[in-house]
Amino acid sequence: MTSQALSLLQLCDSNFPNGAFSQSFGLETYIQKDIVKDAATFTDWLNVYLHEQLTFADGLAARMAYEALNDDELNRLWELDRILTVQNLARESRDGTQRMGDRMLDIAESIYQIPLLATYKEKIKNKQAFGHSALAFTIVGHDLNVEKETTILYYLYSTVVSLVQNAVRAIPLGQTTGQKIIYAFQAELKQATEKIMQLEESEFGIVSPGLELSQMQHERVGIRIFSS
Amino acid sequence: MSKWTGVLELDMENREGRSVAKNVYFQGAFKVMRPVYFNKGAFPCYYLLNPGGGYLDGDTYRMKVNLEEEAQLTLTTQSATKVYKTPNKEVYQETHFHMGKNSYLEYLPDALIAYKDARYHQKNVIHMEQGATLLYSDILTPGWSPDGEQFSYNMLRLKTEIYKEGELAAFDHIKLEPKTQQMNELGFMEGYTHLGSFIVVSEQTSDELLDQLYETITGIPGDFSFGISKLAIPGFTVRIMANYTQVIERIITASHHVISKEWYGTKPSFLRKY
Repeated sequence: MTSQALSLLQLCDSNFPNGAFSQSFGLETYIQKDIVKDAATFTDWLNVYLHEQLTFADGLAARMAYEALNDDELNRLWELDRILTVQNLARESRDGTQRMGDRMLDIAESIYQIPLLATYKEKIKNKQAFGHSALAFTIVGHDLNVEKETTILYYLYSTVVSLVQNAVRAIPLGQTTGQKIIYAFQAELKQATEKIMQLEESEFGIVSPGLELSQMQHERVGIRIFSS
Repeated sequence: MSKWTGVLELDMENREGRSVAKNVYFQGAFKVMRPVYFNKGAFPCYYLLNPGGGYLDGDTYRMKVNLEEEAQLTLTTQSATKVYKTPNKEVYQETHFHMGKNSYLEYLPDALIAYKDARYHQKNVIHMEQGATLLYSDILTPGWSPDGEQFSYNMLRLKTEIYKEGELAAFDHIKLEPKTQQMNELGFMEGYTHLGSFIVVSEQTSDELLDQLYETITGIPGDFSFGISKLAIPGFTVRIMANYTQVIERIITASHHVISKEWYGTKPSFLRKY
């Protein structure tokens, strides 16, 4: 492994304090409805979330952001920040990605000293940008010269790992079960990354109705340990 | 000759407190009927109709509606929009709304019915100036299929972009493709067949209104699942999954009533069609 990829790996650590531990992106709604209740049903949910939402939103945005950075077209990056935020019609999930983006930018900036991260933060401060982890992550990956495909794969991996950890606490599942799910998801992550590389830009932001409803419904779920 | 199957252009202005059409133009398979001013109201309701009776293979439709400052309009359809099989090319409909300062638009079409092997692609682009209010709805339903298949259409794709004072403020992209998606499974339609959306943008949006809408919708009888959530700008979305068009219509109508009462102290007109 190159030392660049190793640097990026730090952002994928499930202990990385970006606040992902408090976001379930609708998973908690399914848990409360007793639809997600064990490893099998959680795997179903994670599959749909990865292939039907993350792929078309964060994943495709990461690819487009990487390409914009290659072409040195920063305006494209700021447009992506906006569309990636406003395509999320469920308020809690939208706020959650903003908070995570904010946290990741703060920490990443102090680790890597990439000027663009400071610019991004400044834009958020001036209300010219929202902040999103997928874009902060991509900026770091690009700066470290990690390949586009690898950057996307790592980003998806970090998201999946956090969600598995959250499921382990919330359903609950055993720690070993959680690790087995992460291992089993390697194939899914590769498949999702390959698809993201092939997607048309016009396919950005496609969302599955059920997933989105669960994210909206979370606002009124009785007992909550997550903020989305 | 226009390359579109149907074209409609409608420009509204506010003439001393009364909203009137400045320009109405339609061509091909798109038509509007004479406007109706309900209850001698200050603004008209226009009914769209598709004289061909439905959308066919490769049809393309374009609608442009422009509301000048303070202009108000209700736009609906005379009946459901039917999309038939599209063996060669998807049906495409493009809609542009431009809403001037403090204008008001209700765009509440009937359901879209997608029959066997139909492919339909819709793009809505809405530009809103300061103080403008939008009430937008759509209902996607699967048509009857000879072999009893629940989702016999091929693809429904709806993209809506809402810009507030020039900046993208909401983006909605739905793509239903029953051949490749597990429609009945978790995350997709989860056992429901009909999908409704009601998007409202208004500076008058408040948490209290959302609570009230939530209570109202929860009290409506019928089998459905819904969510309501605020947009990144003052406004909100209600998304509904159900098995009957009427159930979704009931929810949208009830929500519309709450909004009209709370914001304007009025009752929306019954858009009598039959």
